Amino acid sequence: MNSVDASEHYELGATDLAPSLLTVVLDTNPHAWAALEGSLPLSKAVANILVFINAHLACNYANEVAVVASHTTKATWLYPIHNDDTSQESADPDGDVSMNGDDAAAPQTNKYRPFRLVEEQVTKKLKELMDSTSSNDLRGNTSTMLAGALTLALSNINRRTIAWAEEHGGADLEDAAGDGGSGGAGAGAGAAGTGPGRYSASNDDERLQSRILIVSVSGSSDSAHQYIPVMNSIFACQRLHIPIDVCKLSGDAVFLQQACDATKGVYMALSEPRGLLQYLMMAFLPDQRSRRHLVLPTRVDVDFRAACFCHRRVVDIGYVCSICLSIFCEPPPGNDCLTCGTPLDVGDFGSKPALIPRKKKKKKRVNGTSTVGTPMSTGTPTPGPG
Amino acid sequence: MADSDEEYVGSVTDDEDDLQVTRTDQIQPRKRKQRGGGEWELARTWETLVEGADGTISSTVEGLLEASKRKRLLKDTTPLQRGIIRHVILIIDLSQSMAEKDLRPTRYLLTLRFAQEFVREFFEQNPISQLGVMGLRDGLAIRVSDISGNPTEHLTAIQELKTQDPKGLPSLQNGLEMARGSLFHTPSHGTREVLIIFGSLLSSDPGDIHQTINTLVTDKVRVRIVGLAAQVAICQELCSRTNRGDETAYGVALNEQHFGELLMDVTTPLATQKQSASSLLMMGFPSRTVEPTPSLCACHSKPSRGGYLCSRCGSKVCNLPAECPSCGLTLILSTHLARSYHHLFPLMNWVEVPWRRASSSACFACGLPFPAVPPEDQWSVTENHAKGMSVSSRYQCMACKNHFCIDCDLFAHEVVHNCPGCQSNSVQAVADGMDTTA
Repeated sequence: MNSVDASEHYELGATDLAPSLLTVVLDTNPHAWAALEGSLPLSKAVANILVFINAHLACNYANEVAVVASHTTKATWLYPIHNDDTSQESADPDGDVSMNGDDAAAPQTNKYRPFRLVEEQVTKKLKELMDSTSSNDLRGNTSTMLAGALTLALSNINRRTIAWAEEHGGADLEDAAGDGGSGGAGAGAGAAGTGPGRYSASNDDERLQSRILIVSVSGSSDSAHQYIPVMNSIFACQRLHIPIDVCKLSGDAVFLQQACDATKGVYMALSEPRGLLQYLMMAFLPDQRSRRHLVLPTRVDVDFRAACFCHRRVVDIGYVCSICLSIFCEPPPGNDCLTCGTPLDVGDFGSKPALIPRKKKKKKRVNGTSTVGTPMSTGTPTPGPG
Repeated sequence: MADSDEEYVGSVTDDEDDLQVTRTDQIQPRKRKQRGGGEWELARTWETLVEGADGTISSTVEGLLEASKRKRLLKDTTPLQRGIIRHVILIIDLSQSMAEKDLRPTRYLLTLRFAQEFVREFFEQNPISQLGVMGLRDGLAIRVSDISGNPTEHLTAIQELKTQDPKGLPSLQNGLEMARGSLFHTPSHGTREVLIIFGSLLSSDPGDIHQTINTLVTDKVRVRIVGLAAQVAICQELCSRTNRGDETAYGVALNEQHFGELLMDVTTPLATQKQSASSLLMMGFPSRTVEPTPSLCACHSKPSRGGYLCSRCGSKVCNLPAECPSCGLTLILSTHLARSYHHLFPLMNWVEVPWRRASSSACFACGLPFPAVPPEDQWSVTENHAKGMSVSSRYQCMACKNHFCIDCDLFAHEVVHNCPGCQSNSVQAVADGMDTTA
């Protein structure tokens, strides 16, 4: 009896507490933050985000967090820091504590340890990042490495999901089934077949719940060359059921709207950036499970129009190369695709609207009364093929 | 045997030399054949296990796992022209031979399950393609679902098949003729493909199937077959004729996993054959609207508030991709196009890193610590004990020179199709972007 009771209690606890992993992608583009200086300087924004992260960590003792900076020149981790050397440095009270000053040292001891670790590492790495940015890097470069940041975030989510699944050894572990189940030469045979199934989440409730929050300040116009990588990351999120939330402080990014729409995330363009913390707490704190019961602030009208490859015009109706799927706003000169160079047939699109010939109609009417039955009998097969 | 023979050679006299030569010639080929047969029969998996320094085999087992993970990755990444816009007919054998239980739970149920997975994965990989499902039962070809771009229709149609039982004999010819008929009207810029899941070893046809094959060849329909029982000559001929002599289009499943693998291979678009026409397609990119009052959609005549307005004529359709019911314009989201780009611009394979170059301490993307570099004299011990696997557990992207772990390698190539290193570094990313857009 005891064992039965114990196992029941244990299982109840285990299913209730699927922790969630929040990955914050912080756009640290100095150009855009400089423009925001009046209403919301970066330091204040970081402080707000840290409070938000703490709130997330406080929701569940097992919740995890990761922070990636998407800078103008590179995307880099702010937390967790994987490199062994730097973690030893931070444990050694060297640069870190002296930066905070003596007065900060006393309250640190009373702080919940996960809060303190995140805060220390994020501020330290962010400072390092800003110090390493030279004015040369910024000249003529106003975009942000969003694709890299998303890819890093996804890699970490993948790692944490595998690790969490291994620790908890749940029944739904597609990874364990794919890898460990047939631990021998046979594993190779199943690998590719189970590949697609592996990554399409089977049971969302029992796995690590991951989501990505992008705090974005840059516009998307400069990051056109990142279109394909960003889209690839978005599709990966969609496939893994990872919602991408976007908190847009300035500018407007078409990619990000599409990202939220595709992954069923929350998109918010803040009209008043000073209230960042409140927006974060109200709109972005609930995890996937709570969101099912909430009415989410999501945009209804999403801009899905495409930009053509030739002039970067936004088009409603475009011409698409059937080989490489490049979009053009008008048939390319010489009818050769600009991207892949294939000669293309240009059909006469829309020049002749399809009309029903009149004569036939008249003929049918002549027979109309007598053959009411026949059109019916010929009419029935048509819905099948059509 | 050989040893004793040589001794015998030493002792023979010169006259007997000729005889001796013929004898050894006879013996050696036979021996080789025996050994070759043995290798074909069984893979001696236990012989590849090597005890590690700590007396366990865990390191070797991990190595084998890693190698198997990587095996599926190492595919050809040369950018090819692929037929991205596909028209595929999936023909499922629903004859009595599918009731066999050699694949668990039965061939029939497993096939239907895999068929559903295939439909899902197919539309994941080919969002602007069309699929239709047919069945072979009682000597007839039956239509399971019509050609359309909507996965849910196919999924529900296949689900309904589960309540029925497989019966009768299959007819390949009837199925092929019906598939040819439904592919007849598809535009020439798309591919025409037929995928058959065939569990039987016979085909009871009303006419000459060779003529059907000829017409398929002239209509440029490519047939791929996944066999469940054994190789069938007519299937082999059918596949190689319609694929210009390519034998790989016909595969026979060895077990359940291999079956799934064969099916999932088909979801990757085929490289285009030279003769397929390329054309410029006119497409509309509608934006989504939400109306205050419900109105009828043009495609199903159902009242709804949300929908997409055709960019040319303004009719409302409820789902994309679709063809505008009133003006015939192909309506599509730019994201649907973008989803196919990774087939056209594949991520390069990463290379194994030998101990000599293993300078990194942790995976660049996920931060998993790598095993430390052992002293130089131990390098050769761990070298090459599993093919395709890196001795140092590091894999390097040749473009950005960063090192990654096996899980990130898999993840980057199978799911994200981005290199975390290249995308995280400004200079590389710009160059990469130039490559893909130029």
